[in-house]
Amino acid sequence: MAFEFGGMPQFEAATCAHRSTSKALVKHNAGADVDEDEQQFTGPVPMFSLPRTDNPSEFLHQYSDANPDSKVKIQFAHGTTTLGFKFQHGVIIAVDSRASAGSYIASQTVKKVIEINPYLLGTMAGGAADCSYWERVLAKECRLFELRNGERISVAAASKILANIVYHYRGMGLSMGTMICGWDKKGPGLFYVDSDGTRLTNNLFSVGSGSTYAYGVLDAGYRWDLSVEEAHELARRAIYHATFRDAYSGGHINLYHMKETGWERILNMQDVGPLHYEYEAMKEQSMATTAD
Amino acid sequence: MSSTDKTVLASAGFHGDVLTLVKRIGVRMQNYEYQHRKPMSTPACAQMLATMLYGKRFFPYYTYNILAGLDADGKGCVFSYDPVGSYEREHYRAAGTASALLQPFLDNQARALARIPDYIGRKNQQGVVFEPISKERAMTIIKDVFTSAAERDIYTGDAVDIRIVTKDGLEEHRFPLRCD
Amino acid sequence: MSTGWMSQTAQPRAPQPQAGEDARTRTMRPIVTGTSVLGIKFDGGVAIAADTLGSYGSLARFREISRMCKVGNQTVVGGGGDVADFHMIRDLLNTLEIENREYEDEHDIKPQAVHTYLTRVLYNRRSQMNPLWNTVLVAGMQDGEPYLGYTDKLGVAYQESTLACGYGAYIALGPLLREVADKGEPITKDAAVALLQKCLKVLWYRDARSLNRFEIATVTAEGVDISAPQSSESDWGIASMVRGYE
Repeated sequence: MAFEFGGMPQFEAATCAHRSTSKALVKHNAGADVDEDEQQFTGPVPMFSLPRTDNPSEFLHQYSDANPDSKVKIQFAHGTTTLGFKFQHGVIIAVDSRASAGSYIASQTVKKVIEINPYLLGTMAGGAADCSYWERVLAKECRLFELRNGERISVAAASKILANIVYHYRGMGLSMGTMICGWDKKGPGLFYVDSDGTRLTNNLFSVGSGSTYAYGVLDAGYRWDLSVEEAHELARRAIYHATFRDAYSGGHINLYHMKETGWERILNMQDVGPLHYEYEAMKEQSMATTAD
Repeated sequence: MSSTDKTVLASAGFHGDVLTLVKRIGVRMQNYEYQHRKPMSTPACAQMLATMLYGKRFFPYYTYNILAGLDADGKGCVFSYDPVGSYEREHYRAAGTASALLQPFLDNQARALARIPDYIGRKNQQGVVFEPISKERAMTIIKDVFTSAAERDIYTGDAVDIRIVTKDGLEEHRFPLRCD
Repeated sequence: MSTGWMSQTAQPRAPQPQAGEDARTRTMRPIVTGTSVLGIKFDGGVAIAADTLGSYGSLARFREISRMCKVGNQTVVGGGGDVADFHMIRDLLNTLEIENREYEDEHDIKPQAVHTYLTRVLYNRRSQMNPLWNTVLVAGMQDGEPYLGYTDKLGVAYQESTLACGYGAYIALGPLLREVADKGEPITKDAAVALLQKCLKVLWYRDARSLNRFEIATVTAEGVDISAPQSSESDWGIASMVRGYE
């Protein structure tokens, strides 16, 4: 029997061509072997342990909060507001930081911007574990691309790697709505990728339960020739308004600016609590000026 | 609850999954030590646990985990997880059946007392003196928290295991709770 | 090729469901069943007890089935639940012991190893949606100390100074076994055996799936001793005075 290290590379090298999921169905014996799951990670790509039922993708659904009849509830973190837009000085990415499980706020301090590398950012919406895990895989793929090709990966290629991965798992219940943003030879890049396999590029996106509110603010204030300060303020205000109206969004604001030199973190966990009173005061001030 | 001398893991949920998970973590930590000639650090263990949990994304371990220990700077660290491996480093966390009952308690007590970076906390309480939390105070809070849980959560009771990780090693305590 | 004994050990293989077969067609219900198993540690050893009945629903079908087996020279295992599944567990443990003996190195399988092994088997079977429908007690001497462990069809496992499964967990564990164990002072082997006999008698009165014919196994430094099937004196005198169930 080949000796395998418990901590062996979970996904070795290379390709993003993912092995067919039916292979993952291959059963292993019920023996006293502790590391039954490790054995599945020997392939070139991650393999997952699947429930041994006819339809593995439906199995988890039975026990998730989506099924009201289930006594066992596995609740995953959900609910978000994220936004991103291109403008003359680069790309702005802003997110809230709330994670909820049902009506319970599981965390107010989630980092929903994933720093893939100094020129690439990913945002998180949907399943928290799905996003962070697969964007970590993406980070690895991007690094390997650099090592193999001696140059940085394009935003288009990076986002397509992610889209191809999630498309492979289509129907298995992954839940992610993400924006991949970066700067490459073509300049600023912004792509929307979701777990249905959708991959789009545009100047402006917002994703998550609070996206409608954020779009309202963004559409009212967005222009290509926004100044840097205006762009930061627009993104901050859009997230703030989304956290105000959307119960599933809240906590703090994180804001990044993608430039030719890479990303820069503009707002680091700014609490939206006090922000509300700042905007209230600004409103009163402007009303006072109009009254004059 | 299981631990090495500098990393402790507390798991709630399905005990069968907990036993299995703890066994697998033990195997991998052991192998890490053989390969690298040093024990696995707590943050490394934290990332490993996330990957292991996500490895069962489509047939999850029904476990809610908190991993704690010391980081590279010797500072205390707490990592909390969802069942499929989404994790975050935090200052304090309550997990399990009474989590929704206890987290606000910690928000109120621990957050006010722990020296927490400016970006969290503070906002809900004004005029609070912020100071580093002592080991004794931490113990008091933890005992109070579990006493409350035993009072209002039917799944909590009998006794609580407490482990304290410091640079000097691991301390173990057992604190009895109401037994009804 | 395999070498280590772990890899040679027979692996329980669940029947493979045919394509399109519903998961529920697998054994999700015990057929011939055994009821309680009781266990208690005493001074210098541990004792477990189980009656010899294999019930077929409410029918007392097989009246002399042993629900215990010896593993190595310091471990005994008792099981409740599906008797056929228990027999498979027994066969597995038998294989385990034979493979261990092949080495002729004086090494003896210890109770904790047996307990962990069974827990892994049961957990893996439940993870394949095909559980072995048993609750199992493992008793023995682990490095000179009494050892008593529990594991069930889900792969849940723990150790205690007193354990019981089936109706025994409701009727015998709290008032009878724990009462003695929680006093703190260790009891003698004779007292432990007498206590188990008393518990089985109470179960015989109250558990409709029980039988007044049982085995008691003790493990001490001297080794394993599984008694011949025995019975207790019972007194149904008060039965005629019970009202309300006619």
